Amino acid sequence: MIGHLSVILISCLFLAASCSTKIISTNIYQEHKTDLDNIERRYEKLNPTNHFSLAFTDKNFNIVSLEMITDTLTRIYEFNVTEKRLADTLIKYNYDTAGIYYLIRKMQQTKVTWINSFDYYINDLPQQLILLSIKPVTIRYIFSPPKYVALAYFRTTQFFDEKGRLLDSRRTKQVRKIKGQVFYKITDRVCYTITDKYR
Amino acid sequence: MHIQFKVISFVFYLLILANQKGFAGDLFGEIISTKEEATAFLDQIDQNKENTLWPNVKSRLFYDNLKLNLENPKSFYPGRSTNFCSYGALSYLVMEKDPLGYVKFMNELYDKGEATFNNNHFKPTKAVMNAAGTLKFKGVLDIRHAEQMWFLVLADHYKGYLNFFDKKFDEGDENTFWAATNLSKFDRMVSQMCGNHVKAVGSDLIKPWVKDVYSYLAKRIDSNIVSLYVNNRIIHKKNHDKIKFSIPTHFIILRQIRQEGNMITLRYWDYGGETEMQISSRTLKKIIFGIITIDK
Repeated sequence: MIGHLSVILISCLFLAASCSTKIISTNIYQEHKTDLDNIERRYEKLNPTNHFSLAFTDKNFNIVSLEMITDTLTRIYEFNVTEKRLADTLIKYNYDTAGIYYLIRKMQQTKVTWINSFDYYINDLPQQLILLSIKPVTIRYIFSPPKYVALAYFRTTQFFDEKGRLLDSRRTKQVRKIKGQVFYKITDRVCYTITDKYR
Repeated sequence: MHIQFKVISFVFYLLILANQKGFAGDLFGEIISTKEEATAFLDQIDQNKENTLWPNVKSRLFYDNLKLNLENPKSFYPGRSTNFCSYGALSYLVMEKDPLGYVKFMNELYDKGEATFNNNHFKPTKAVMNAAGTLKFKGVLDIRHAEQMWFLVLADHYKGYLNFFDKKFDEGDENTFWAATNLSKFDRMVSQMCGNHVKAVGSDLIKPWVKDVYSYLAKRIDSNIVSLYVNNRIIHKKNHDKIKFSIPTHFIILRQIRQEGNMITLRYWDYGGETEMQISSRTLKKIIFGIITIDK
């Protein structure tokens, strides 16, 4: 009995180690470029007035986690997108309700699971980029981790090495990691990575 | 078979060690110093002095950071994607108790490369001294050189069983097991650094045997400082998998708790500010692995 169990366990481990999740499309950004850029622009316009981030915490894109961020307090609430509480909350805290609802709809349509802004520093001066994650169609094996495509939108031109990896600056060859991930060039200011976490 | 028995015994002993019920330290019970005393101390020292012991720490950023810590003690920011959250929670407690002790300690550490805080002597390794000031893409921690130094030195000094296989700092280790903290290590740090009596229920793997978590917390929050060791992956999901490892990942300082029907509103301090969130009482029970009660 124990022998059988060991064989099953070893098989499972082998399966987990040998089969990783495959993303069907290798060109997600180009396929959805207009929608993704539109989402990024809309978020960039809404975010400076009242900081926020949005994440879909379910696979069907019905439950949205809204983080409303001020200097002193971050409020995190989860809503079904059809709930009236969502609109009530946005109104209560003076957020652009119509703008955020538009963003939510666009995110649902384009399977964008998360959008947030990200502050970083160059020469001790603050910079900002926008990160968004997409839930792609995948072939997933048992025990294999999920996969997401994360896009980083910088405001300025970035520098990359010959392998297309994002670098710290023009003068160094040091690869810049964001949230522990190496990012690869799509355009001069947009890059991507494949990750098993959407945020 | 014999090896299996040894492994099982090892895990069993670890669990027993981790399942800490209480921890007693020296009792101070009072605020040791004030923000005004700490500011006066900072004002009388040369803040432009060069220092080769910490090659990447900029004196301007270092002292600006100390001033910020005094003006707004809640601004301590352990950085994005790091394992510094426990040291962040500890900073919150230290600043409540002894801001002058903190700035004196940091100034001495900067000047001499070693210093003592509340009878605990810190002499960081060369690797840590070189790393302070170089952490990047961690949010505002990038330009907070005193906090980088403080978190790295604490992580270098305090070790628990989670750090067993990674005791030596290498680049990027702020995100790895080198910086991780288990419950008993956290209790030890708080007890030694703040000198307060610490009582903890729960463990690193098994949730506390508390029947009504809300009542337990509500009863203690007024008269004590309460820190929670939680599984942040449940409330801050990072993927859409339904099956998740049930392990604690994060230390927070509980500030407020209230109940309306089945919903509980938690207000807690973690990354440089307070967060308010609503969860069900079932989720509250599910996320908490350790409740650390610290005497005020």
